[in-house]
Amino acid sequence: MTDLMDGLAALIHTLSNTLVDSPSTNSVLAITLTLGAFLAANRLFRAMRSPVWLPPVLIAACLLSAFLVLLTLDYQNYRDGAQWLTVLLGPTTVALGVPLYQQMHHIRALWRPILFTLPIAAPLAAGYAILIATALGASPEVIASIAPKSVTAPIAMGITEQLGGSVSLLMGSLLITGVVATVFVDLATRWMKISDHRIIGFALGLNGHAVGTARAFELGPTAGAFASLGMGLTGIFTALILPFAFGLFG
Amino acid sequence: MVMLRGFLVLSVFFLLGEASRIVFALPVSGGVIGMILLTFTLMVRGNISDSLAQASQALISVLVLLIMPGVVGIFFQAGEFSGQWLAIGSALVVGTLLSVLTTLWLLRHFVTDSQKGASHD
Repeated sequence: MTDLMDGLAALIHTLSNTLVDSPSTNSVLAITLTLGAFLAANRLFRAMRSPVWLPPVLIAACLLSAFLVLLTLDYQNYRDGAQWLTVLLGPTTVALGVPLYQQMHHIRALWRPILFTLPIAAPLAAGYAILIATALGASPEVIASIAPKSVTAPIAMGITEQLGGSVSLLMGSLLITGVVATVFVDLATRWMKISDHRIIGFALGLNGHAVGTARAFELGPTAGAFASLGMGLTGIFTALILPFAFGLFG
Repeated sequence: MVMLRGFLVLSVFFLLGEASRIVFALPVSGGVIGMILLTFTLMVRGNISDSLAQASQALISVLVLLIMPGVVGIFFQAGEFSGQWLAIGSALVVGTLLSVLTTLWLLRHFVTDSQKGASHD
């Protein structure tokens, strides 16, 4: 029995590592695995009735790493193969300008609270994390990776690359931040007796980026619109401020 | 075809953003500059083409797919950050709790303020 298992494992190892040898096959393999994990995760998420604490991205990440381990694929190799997907992040970041433009009438309606809250709250979303991490002795690379934790992924990746952090650690941080921000906003609005969907949505988007925005759309279209707005404005504001702030102090 | 036209617009704005980043030596990523340029262009024009709206919607809806290769990295590179997990975890959880409370407090303060202001007018 163990002989059979060993034989099978050796076969998988040889087969998958032969596929990886050719760059084009390696790409197709990486894209197939990613696409498979993504679609399976979406189905699982709906089957579990959309739990707040387990967003599709987390399910997909677990499935995908399981695939890589089972096929004994090297992560760096996989990442090179998946370049075709990663390269689309640039145009996707630009695409975020479209919902932002479509939300513009909300900014006009509530410009004063937004104008006063954003310049304080967005830097603090990064600032609290930087202060706590520094106080507990985190390395500069770690701080550069977790500083844009409340910023939506494509923008945050650009920021972390500029600051010299690790994109992988950033991605993990984004995931944790998105989930805990959603849970904290739920609890805090109940505790503070806030029922205005504009406030709840904006807070979800500002602190919990795409994960919080997805939750806001479950609450309703108003919360969703304000979450997209909060996410977009926080992304832009942090992207403009953080690299300059790091330049001054770093 | 329609969606490809929108994709062309997005790629052009991304390249414009990258070009401005290099020319003006900005520390901001080309994608963000492209996004700001696109938002301003749309504001000036006052309307948006169907192709651009469709292409943006399509890309944003598969955003999770595009970030997956980066996300799984944390499982394979976690060892690099051993010994710093307490700092990372506290910064993320406590930092997010504080920033959620600050945001809600500020918003509640200013929204009721501006509504009071509006009712005086």
